[in-house]
Amino acid sequence: MLQFPILTIIIFWPILGSFVVLAAYRSPRLVRWLSLGISLVEMALVAALFFLDLQPYATPQGTWLLLEDYAWIPWLGARYSLGLDGISLLLVLLVAFINIFSVLISWKAIDFKVGSFFFWILFLEGTLVGLFLAADLLLFYLFWEIQIIPMFFLVGIWGHENRIHAAVKFLLYTLSGSLFMLIALIALYVMHGHQTGIYTFSVYQLMQHGPLGTTTEILLFGAFLLAFAIKIPLIPVHTWLPDTHTEAPTAGSVDLAGLLLKTGVYALFRFAMPLFPYATQLFIPVLLVLGVGGLFYAAWIALAQTDIKRLVAYSSISHMALIVIGIAIWNVTTLSGSLLQMINHGLSTSALFIMVGMLDERTHSRDFAVMGGIWSKMPVFSTFFLLFALSSMGLPGLNNFVGEVLILVGAFKVKPVIAILSFVGIVFGVIYILRMVQDCLFGQPRAEHVFWDLDFRETVMLAALALAVLSIGLHPGPVLHLLDQPIQAMLQQIAQLGLP
Amino acid sequence: MPTDWPGLIPVVILAGGGSLIFCAGAFWRRLPGGVLFALALISAAAAGVAALWITPANPSSEGMLDLSGYARFFTCLFAAITGLTILFLRQYARVRGFAGDELYGLLLFGALGMVLVAGALNWVIFFLGLELLSLALYVLIAVRKGEAASNEAGLKYFIMSAVASAFLTFGIALLYAVSGSMQVAGSLAAALTYPDYLPVILLSLALILVGIGFKTSLVPFHLWTPDVYQGAPAPITAFLSTGSKVALFAALLRFAMLAPEPVWAFCLPGLWVLAALTMVVGNLTALYQTRIKRLLAYSSIAQMGYLFMTLLAVKQGGLPALLFYLAVYAVMDLGAFGLIGSFSAGQTQSDRDDLADYQGLGYSQPWRAGVLAVCLISLAGLPPTAGFMGKFALFRAVLHSDYVVLAVIGILTAIVSLYYYFKVVVAMYLSPATAGATVPAADLAVHLAGAIILVLILWLGLAPSALFGLVDRLAAALALSS
Repeated sequence: MLQFPILTIIIFWPILGSFVVLAAYRSPRLVRWLSLGISLVEMALVAALFFLDLQPYATPQGTWLLLEDYAWIPWLGARYSLGLDGISLLLVLLVAFINIFSVLISWKAIDFKVGSFFFWILFLEGTLVGLFLAADLLLFYLFWEIQIIPMFFLVGIWGHENRIHAAVKFLLYTLSGSLFMLIALIALYVMHGHQTGIYTFSVYQLMQHGPLGTTTEILLFGAFLLAFAIKIPLIPVHTWLPDTHTEAPTAGSVDLAGLLLKTGVYALFRFAMPLFPYATQLFIPVLLVLGVGGLFYAAWIALAQTDIKRLVAYSSISHMALIVIGIAIWNVTTLSGSLLQMINHGLSTSALFIMVGMLDERTHSRDFAVMGGIWSKMPVFSTFFLLFALSSMGLPGLNNFVGEVLILVGAFKVKPVIAILSFVGIVFGVIYILRMVQDCLFGQPRAEHVFWDLDFRETVMLAALALAVLSIGLHPGPVLHLLDQPIQAMLQQIAQLGLP
Repeated sequence: MPTDWPGLIPVVILAGGGSLIFCAGAFWRRLPGGVLFALALISAAAAGVAALWITPANPSSEGMLDLSGYARFFTCLFAAITGLTILFLRQYARVRGFAGDELYGLLLFGALGMVLVAGALNWVIFFLGLELLSLALYVLIAVRKGEAASNEAGLKYFIMSAVASAFLTFGIALLYAVSGSMQVAGSLAAALTYPDYLPVILLSLALILVGIGFKTSLVPFHLWTPDVYQGAPAPITAFLSTGSKVALFAALLRFAMLAPEPVWAFCLPGLWVLAALTMVVGNLTALYQTRIKRLLAYSSIAQMGYLFMTLLAVKQGGLPALLFYLAVYAVMDLGAFGLIGSFSAGQTQSDRDDLADYQGLGYSQPWRAGVLAVCLISLAGLPPTAGFMGKFALFRAVLHSDYVVLAVIGILTAIVSLYYYFKVVVAMYLSPATAGATVPAADLAVHLAGAIILVLILWLGLAPSALFGLVDRLAAALALSS
């Protein structure tokens, strides 16, 4: 057990850094290097946590690898408590890793208000790390709402033509869901207080509430689910995502797809389901239907897109739907698969958005109509593009394959019909990805553009991502090992409640 | 003679400071610039410090004026509101040439009125304080004599306020007729001693509520609010929308705490409907506004709606949340109106009111626009601001008392409110800059006030335990004494 408040530091390092960057706004060059430095230090800190090989230990707040717990607002019973387990460690790693690319991809693409841009990027990183570490429901909610504001500004200031519309839509969608969750959260807190006499926001203690009554529990779970489903996004509340992606700057899309969407699934798994196990049982068919529906629907819509970025956005919805299916089936195999798949999707989709951004920088367009024949002009770029497209498709040996197989195998044992449907859905996804690859890379060029192949910065970025994709694909052991203990603990806890 | 004079020092300071300023204006022909400003600021600060430091021996002064922690809390708050208003006014009033003794003197007398209203244990003191406050406000709203909109606003406020006062006076008279007591506690307790007169008591309370509802712009008595807020100079609007509303609400809270159970039970359904109406009407009407002062006027109506919603829970432990939110509301609303005033300081005509004139301000005036944005985000109730903690405490209190439907209405309207608050943020940061009138540089006073407000909003948003602990103790003390 560490006495050193490392978790607090990894939250506040980027946030403090963001203000330093803002103060240096007069020199864009300094801002970029500072941001890169801050992101790299953050990555080093988080990586150190990974390599420390921490062992779980039991505390009054549950079992954690690391726990920092201080009084915050005694009057409300809210504590400043941060907990690190395998799941949050992986997601924090993802945040720190992806954030480096958000900084790098914006190196040249962002040429005005540079200081504010990197301020929001780093601020967002800090709030996301906080979100994945919060073990107190109020603290979690605080981070959950704060993270919306940086994204609002990132899309609204540095986005494309319809950016204001997209930013406001994003804000209203995500915040409406959150406010319903706020009501449910307070209601749960009050009811738990009535039952036990202890007013607390500690997730671990709140889980030990007595029966709330079926209707109440369904209402509360419904409110939580609404907030998280909007963020994931599940159909039919997904409509903000394609618009936001289309208008967002590349770094915004990378953060959104790679990180923000993960918060929804994470919160569903970490908070909504353990807090309301009875309601979860009732909602599982709903989640499965929405998941399978989303998997097909988004893939189908993706086929009709003419804008590459929109296509990748819909592919995101489709992939997230599969993750939700895995969560809803709720056994060790599918849960491992789904959580792993969150990392995989974060890596592959971020890479695809980064590459679409690179194309946009070169052609000032993302339309299939003007692509084609890129392989002959940009061979290095095209190789990477093919690699990440194949990874997104689930080619064996690459990262997505591991996660998808785990979900399918786990699902087949209990719900074979769902497993078969999911399999068909995944195959369906292959079609639009192959179409994207074909229309972009091969065939005759459809418009004259000046292409230049990857420069050093771009090559380094893609190589690092490719390395991560390959290493998870070939050797997923260490990652799965991290997930194992928290999943077992979660399942055990639910099992104690005597549910099927 | 009152034996507990130390407790009255804040009141004396405010009255003395106001009189001194008037005397200086009348007899000191060539006033060096800034003397009145300094006098007013020092008086407000001294009153606040006195209320903070001096612990009176008696809980009340002759049973007329509350001197307990509850009243001292509000005295400090009013001193802070007045001090910040004076800081925001300095440049604004100078440019427009109304920085005379009447401005600063009346501000202090207005603050004195607020202190009396919030601390009144006797209906006469309450009425006296209310009239003192209103009188100061009539003049302050119309302080720019040359401008028609300002005069119209002053007149409108005067007429509406006079009607409301008439209702209020009649209510007090009826209550006195039934109970034979001018003491607030004694007259309300008449409901227990003369249960037969309950209908009359309820009627008198309804009339009193009309009077208070007018001042706190409770729907349906809110119609004056947007017009007056728009016509008044922006820093005066800040004073009006925070100080007078908080004072009246503090009095209302005391009356609610003192109201005996049978009376209160009859009040609840009516208050439920009024609270829901206020939240819905305030937030929905704000959506359509294109002028920022009107938008904020409707927003302040909506904010009152959230307070009235929690008023229902005041007897079941909702009081600390209400006290907390009153303080938070005062800070953020004062900041919003005050900064609008500072953006308008260079124009000798009307205030910078059109939303289109705010486009691009986030970059040309990063510091002030940033504070304004934080105030708006706080009004919208998003973390990490004080507005979030305040709203959180309110909804917690409401759900604790099982007003689930009202809480859901509150949350739905809060979602609506996000749109109009962010409309201003969008204009400042996201929209392309327009070539509007140039924004004057702010003076040191505005920067100081902005910094104080920013620090308060973030501090109360992230580490509210200190204030939560304080309001909890105050609420417990008030509940015991009532």
